[in-house]
Amino acid sequence: MVAVRSWGDKLSVSLSERSRQVSKRVCCAGIVVAAAVTLGLSVHHGLQHTATLDRPSNIAADTTAFHQEECLYHAIRSEVPKGATVYVTSARWQYTQRLAELSTLWAVPQPTLATAQWRLSFVHARGHCDGLALKASRL
Amino acid sequence: MSALVVLAVGLGLPGLLPAVAAAGRSPVVVFLAPLIGAGMAAVAALIELGVPSSLLVNYTVVAAVVNLAVLAWWRVAGRRAWRLTGPAGGWSAAGWSAATVVVVAGCVAIPLTALRAHMIGWDANSIWLTHALMVYGGHHQLVTGLQNVAYQFSNPDYPPLVPASGALAFGFHGLSDLDLAPEMTVLLNACALGAVGTGIAAAGYGTGFTAGDTGGRWPARVAGVAGAGAICLVGFAVSASFGVEGYTDLLWGAAAAAAVIWGLVLPTSPRALAVAWAFAAAASLTKNEGLATTLVLLVLIALRYRPLTMPGSAVRNWAERAVFVAVPALPGVAWAGLIRLLGIHDAFFKSASGESLVTRAEATTVGMAAHLAVAPVALAALLVGGWLLRGERERARLGNPVWLWISCIGSLAIIFGTYLIGGLEIHSWLANSVNRTTIFAQVVLYSELAIWLVIAADGAFARGTKRVPEVISDPDAADTSGAEGDYTYGRPPVRR
Repeated sequence: MVAVRSWGDKLSVSLSERSRQVSKRVCCAGIVVAAAVTLGLSVHHGLQHTATLDRPSNIAADTTAFHQEECLYHAIRSEVPKGATVYVTSARWQYTQRLAELSTLWAVPQPTLATAQWRLSFVHARGHCDGLALKASRL
Repeated sequence: MSALVVLAVGLGLPGLLPAVAAAGRSPVVVFLAPLIGAGMAAVAALIELGVPSSLLVNYTVVAAVVNLAVLAWWRVAGRRAWRLTGPAGGWSAAGWSAATVVVVAGCVAIPLTALRAHMIGWDANSIWLTHALMVYGGHHQLVTGLQNVAYQFSNPDYPPLVPASGALAFGFHGLSDLDLAPEMTVLLNACALGAVGTGIAAAGYGTGFTAGDTGGRWPARVAGVAGAGAICLVGFAVSASFGVEGYTDLLWGAAAAAAVIWGLVLPTSPRALAVAWAFAAAASLTKNEGLATTLVLLVLIALRYRPLTMPGSAVRNWAERAVFVAVPALPGVAWAGLIRLLGIHDAFFKSASGESLVTRAEATTVGMAAHLAVAPVALAALLVGGWLLRGERERARLGNPVWLWISCIGSLAIIFGTYLIGGLEIHSWLANSVNRTTIFAQVVLYSELAIWLVIAADGAFARGTKRVPEVISDPDAADTSGAEGDYTYGRPPVRR
């Protein structure tokens, strides 16, 4: 069965339908505003955070920390022979982990002192890698 | 700059043909190609772990095999497969695509300015850079390194996508710049967010993957492109510094969110399915929680494409659903299996916790809730939109929002369970990680808002008085779209 809607039927919009469309548009506008404001607030927060990270003082501090890491990486390679077994230990656990990380591909960290040929630690020292120095002692 | 070259040449170029095969002329190709390249690098690392070999050789072989397979498929499938589909509508569609790429690329570029600072986060060092060096060192270094108890702190069972990408960068430029590996991660974060953004934009102007998906009117298209740009900035915002200092949580979260958008939100089509699978595979190869979440997503995608009400043989239907889950999950599951075969585990479940489950559950609930402030707004949009705009959503052929919410809740449940049964002291564990483990849920919920923004923008600017004569073959079925009389939308009513 085929029904054909006439132009007249199509153009006669009842009051109830019109009011329903108005309320629907109001709700659409509400969703648009709520979503835009929520996304906008998060975007604003992100841009503020990026601006903080881009401050010259932050860039300088992070660049210094990175250079310190590179310096210690090269120190391990210059003071310890390639393939040596090492026992890493430091006053702070963060330094101990960092030593193991930076030894990767050059020395082989050992879980105990018994199997190690070298003992490595980071010590505070002026004039070395931005306040830290590698202390490598042969066992 | 070196990392950008590796991303474009080392990952993007080998991934371009598979990306085009999957997504045609869609703007998502720009962001999909490097992630497919990273996925292939991860598979190369998987082979390196199992067989004495090096990453570069394996990567070359994997990339060649994948590209040859795509070419063979194109040859077998014939001219139809060569047709590059994308947003329909000629120059206008090309303009919207170009605008999407420009806006999304511009928005992800803003947080990337932080790369000038050479920030390397704690995990970026202790896990990802360490693993990248091991992968770069070859099979022996990788296996002995991951099995070395002294490296237990680095969670040696973590998947290989990020370490493989970093190792590939070292393969290109050597070990002179350690920052290369974290920079690769940050760029991959941007690509994954770009994929989410292009998905939201496609909700506005249509994917063009199927004949009926031609998009909405200009307000929806503008809202889609604006939402695409916004979600990229939001992704970095919810990740804070973790997004730009080499952490991988944003990468798996955004890749999984892209899989949600392309697989569970955008209209169903073989191409959208292929794109969703690619992002799901990338998420599963990035982090353990990414693998767990991906399995949930793949089950949902399988159920959307092969619904339980589907006619035909039940055995065949279930077999197809199983294939839909198994194929994209294969690389991630293979890594997890091989790692356990080698006796490698992380530190999270090594010891039993002394805290009660109630204590852990309370702390986890409070910790997670603090990072899900967007949830009430997204829920309100869901309720109001579901009530008033269901017809618009159906006409746009977008998936039922329940899929997205189930994926979000499913991921949160997995992470909640992990905190509950894990062995670490719960408060310090949460303090160090809950802001990162909820990134997926946050990106998905913000994406849900952006999708409703697109639909509502279309609804708010609809011209309700303009009617066209219409021949209706079945009067009872005329209003199944849910919006009576509004024939000016630009899409034909769709019955589902």
